[in-house]
Amino acid sequence: MKSGWRYNAFSYGIAIPFAIVLAFPFFWMAVTSFKPEAQVYDRTKVWSFHPTLANYGFLFHQTDYLRWIRNSCFVGGMVVLITLVVALPAGYALARLSGRVGRTMGVAIFLTYLVPPTLLFLPLSRVIAQYLHLSDRLWALVVVYPSFTIPFAIWLLMGFFKTIPQELEDAALVDGCSRLGSLVRIVFPISIPGILTVVIFTFSLVLNEFVYAITFISSSTNRTLTVGVPTDLIRGDLFNWPGIMAAILIPSIPLALVYNAFLNRFIAGFTGGAFR
Amino acid sequence: MSDVEDEPQEGRRLSRRELLKKAGVGAAAAGAAGATAPFSFAGPMKFKGRWLKGDLSIIQWVHFVPAYDDWFDKTWVTQWGQKNDVQVNVEHINNTLLDTRAAAEVAAGSGHDLFWNLHPMAAYEDQVINHASIIKEIERKVGPYGPLAKASTYNPKTKKYFAVCDNYVPDPVVWRHDIWNGIDEAPFTWDHVRKAAPKLKAAGHPIGIGQSQELDSNMALIAFMMCFGSFVQSDLNRPTLNSKNTIQAVNFMADIYKTGEDAEIFAWNPASNNNYLYSGTASMIFNAISATRTPEAQNLPFSKDLWIWPIPHGPHGRLGLEHVMGCYNIWKFSKNKENAQQFVVDLCVNYKQATMASQLYNFPSFPGAFPYKQIRKVAAADKNKPSGKYTILTTIAEKYTYNIGYPGTTNAAMDEVFSKYLIPQMFAQVSQGKMSAADSVKSINSQVKDIYAKWKARGKI
Amino acid sequence: MTAVAAAGGSRRTRLRYIAERRGFLATLLISPAVLFILALVGVPLVLAVYLSFTDAQAGSLTGKWVGLANFRNALHDPIFRGALWHTFLFTVISQIVVIFCAGLIAHAFIRNFRGRWALRFFVLLPWAAPIALTAIGFLWFYDPQASIFNWFLIKLHIVDPSHLPNWLGTPKAAMSSIITVQAWRTIPFAVVIFLAGISSIPQEVDDAAAIDGATGLKKFWYVSLPLQLPIAMVAILFGIVFTATDMVVPFILTNGGPFNSTQVLTTYAFQTGINAGNIGEGAAIALFMLPVLALVVIGMLVFARRAEVT
Repeated sequence: MKSGWRYNAFSYGIAIPFAIVLAFPFFWMAVTSFKPEAQVYDRTKVWSFHPTLANYGFLFHQTDYLRWIRNSCFVGGMVVLITLVVALPAGYALARLSGRVGRTMGVAIFLTYLVPPTLLFLPLSRVIAQYLHLSDRLWALVVVYPSFTIPFAIWLLMGFFKTIPQELEDAALVDGCSRLGSLVRIVFPISIPGILTVVIFTFSLVLNEFVYAITFISSSTNRTLTVGVPTDLIRGDLFNWPGIMAAILIPSIPLALVYNAFLNRFIAGFTGGAFR
Repeated sequence: MSDVEDEPQEGRRLSRRELLKKAGVGAAAAGAAGATAPFSFAGPMKFKGRWLKGDLSIIQWVHFVPAYDDWFDKTWVTQWGQKNDVQVNVEHINNTLLDTRAAAEVAAGSGHDLFWNLHPMAAYEDQVINHASIIKEIERKVGPYGPLAKASTYNPKTKKYFAVCDNYVPDPVVWRHDIWNGIDEAPFTWDHVRKAAPKLKAAGHPIGIGQSQELDSNMALIAFMMCFGSFVQSDLNRPTLNSKNTIQAVNFMADIYKTGEDAEIFAWNPASNNNYLYSGTASMIFNAISATRTPEAQNLPFSKDLWIWPIPHGPHGRLGLEHVMGCYNIWKFSKNKENAQQFVVDLCVNYKQATMASQLYNFPSFPGAFPYKQIRKVAAADKNKPSGKYTILTTIAEKYTYNIGYPGTTNAAMDEVFSKYLIPQMFAQVSQGKMSAADSVKSINSQVKDIYAKWKARGKI
Repeated sequence: MTAVAAAGGSRRTRLRYIAERRGFLATLLISPAVLFILALVGVPLVLAVYLSFTDAQAGSLTGKWVGLANFRNALHDPIFRGALWHTFLFTVISQIVVIFCAGLIAHAFIRNFRGRWALRFFVLLPWAAPIALTAIGFLWFYDPQASIFNWFLIKLHIVDPSHLPNWLGTPKAAMSSIITVQAWRTIPFAVVIFLAGISSIPQEVDDAAAIDGATGLKKFWYVSLPLQLPIAMVAILFGIVFTATDMVVPFILTNGGPFNSTQVLTTYAFQTGINAGNIGEGAAIALFMLPVLALVVIGMLVFARRAEVT
């Protein structure tokens, strides 16, 4: 155990500068979001100006912003659900039951990430429009997004399940549980931290996606956050900078708070919490 | 089904069967897709009380003049829809994303009935219907299709109209009269501009002609080239980029950049030159009149010092391009072709309203719909100072606006040269000193030749 | 067991027996994932590969077969070669920065100290915010007229107001800008993964190392680092793959940048395939990275397996 003050100095010395550098753009975004739009280019008013809430008001009352947030949450929630349902069993199976085949499959699943979506959206748009009839529906995104969240989730969960000792399940089997039963009754409850992890990462992958969202969704009411902001807050000639900054801040802060809250449990999961 | 009774039946009575069928389809779709009516994700029924006979879906850009979209969505579309008994849905999307959406719709084989883009999508010729009948119908009512529009939407090789141009936007120079006055200059010719450039920059007000991979730079530089007698293609649609005139033009612009512009012009998007102007910095930009309308609307201090002139005169003459060429396409797989055709016809015939609603931004591609003389009168009556400043627009539209690809027609090869931003590259490489004009022109020319060869092999030029 | 089954027991016990078989259960559990991926990734991938061998245009999903012509054209295209190089630079440099910074930050956050929660919140922000939006935010941050970054540089007298660096308009500056933004948004992601890795080192190892007298840097190099390698490898791999196949940052910030100097494979594929309508060529460009990345990934995984300490 390192001596107290030296370690703390190290921690503060690294954490504070990085926190400042990483978070400064958000601070500047916040400043801009309170500026009246006509003053954003005024060089004399960089820091001294009359703050206003007009931009936030604009977002909430004159655009479909709240609806976009709802849409994003809807898509995010559904995709998280689907991902968990599909990836949990798969991750477990690959971690426990498949030996070498499992490792190869793990690699194969990972290789699906090497395909860039920049062109995949073309054949997919045909699938969505003609075979599934889901054009301009959020369900199109719900169906397509798991294709890139599931592999990642499987990887996370594989690594996570490997830290759960085999003895735990063997003990349950000896006690008369079926394999499936031990899965449900013993393993899954312990893997809550892993599940939380998957939730965070999946949600962030969904929110960060842009190409499919712009392709499959048409009407302004069905847009997600990533699409609504560039299309409705940028009128060709005019970037509504304060409005855009406000639009970025509003979801980011709660998300970061939630991720931060989950982080402890996530790490606890990797340290095999039950056995400490 | 109680909802059948709940529908107020004003005016038109629907047969019970029709209603049930629609409800059934709705329920099936809801079941299949899982979205149910209470959630707005499913797309709420936009009309209450009346089931309309047909549908029409349109996609177009978010207009640079917000007043136009207000008029279009709230007045024009509503009235047209009611008159023709058609439920019209209009989607507005950022102009940079139109190409993406077009590709996706074609790949999907389904999409909007009427697709508008701000350049004629010559590459999609095989995916759209022949629009000749629409154009003939409009010509019957208001007179001939403008030559500019025809050169932009007609393929002489396949004899097909691959789009209907409803409007174009003249591209003037917008310049700060007060600043130029201060150095005793005016942008009559490009020589004048070059002479004034260092003085303007020294006064803290550089010129702003972009050399970036975006629309405005493309338009400005191609027009600039034309003033020097440099053309991407000939009247027979053959590539003619590599010429002495091109090299001269590239060097000339590099000169202007070095003495009179700021390095930021290489990182611009379509809004940047406007912002450059609105911040009070720019002394001259190339842009449609959205660049003057916004200062007027925002009461910027120099808005009455913004003058509008045609493109400066070059050695070869005064040739300009249109800033935006609005074209409607109807896909072959559109489900409501008749409604789409009728919509375009009615819009073009009544284009006077559109021009007025856009505050003279959109000029009709069928001049008969709103003759130049009348537009000039309206422009003269515009209240903004200096008075009469907008009348020059009609002169520019009539005399100094040519199609992309002049002296040839706008075709898929030219479109590809345009979409790959080869011309801004050609200029930027030299302006930034990366290579000589001759080398730059040569390397871009070989890419241009490849593109033309490809499209010739496909029988499109 | 067999006795029970052979006794012609109830169907329930027979089913239970089947469910006990490892292979069957494994297949059952994996199949939904495999099906999903095959349908939504595999099929479009095959279609994309097919398209890259045709001259498909303008959104069409069919075209005339041209064999390797698209790939050959790409290799002759100077912009493509530039894009290849830029992709390499973009990926490698940004990930080196990420790994270095994230490693430091993760070690700083491992033990609790006052204010850790708040500092961690700030560090997580770049990753929590949707990248498509923050990239637009960086347009504002780097805006030639109103960049706050330039404002600081002027106030600190590092640059001269009349020679402001054009962060998105000159080749080198634009490249460093997109690398910076990509690193900025990936660091929190890597920090989280590293934190997991460091935490998973069992306490016994720490104690054993202390007993053996290994402390500080020596301990780090011989003990901690090898143990963290597997999970670090995950972070590095995903970082590389996400960066090489993602187009949002270069697309929004520079769109290929001052005359193609920040064009990466993904943006160039998009520009060729969508804006210019050359689906076949675009597909070929997009797929170019696939074999290269696959080799890199497999290579790293093999290396990780060899270095793994169980």
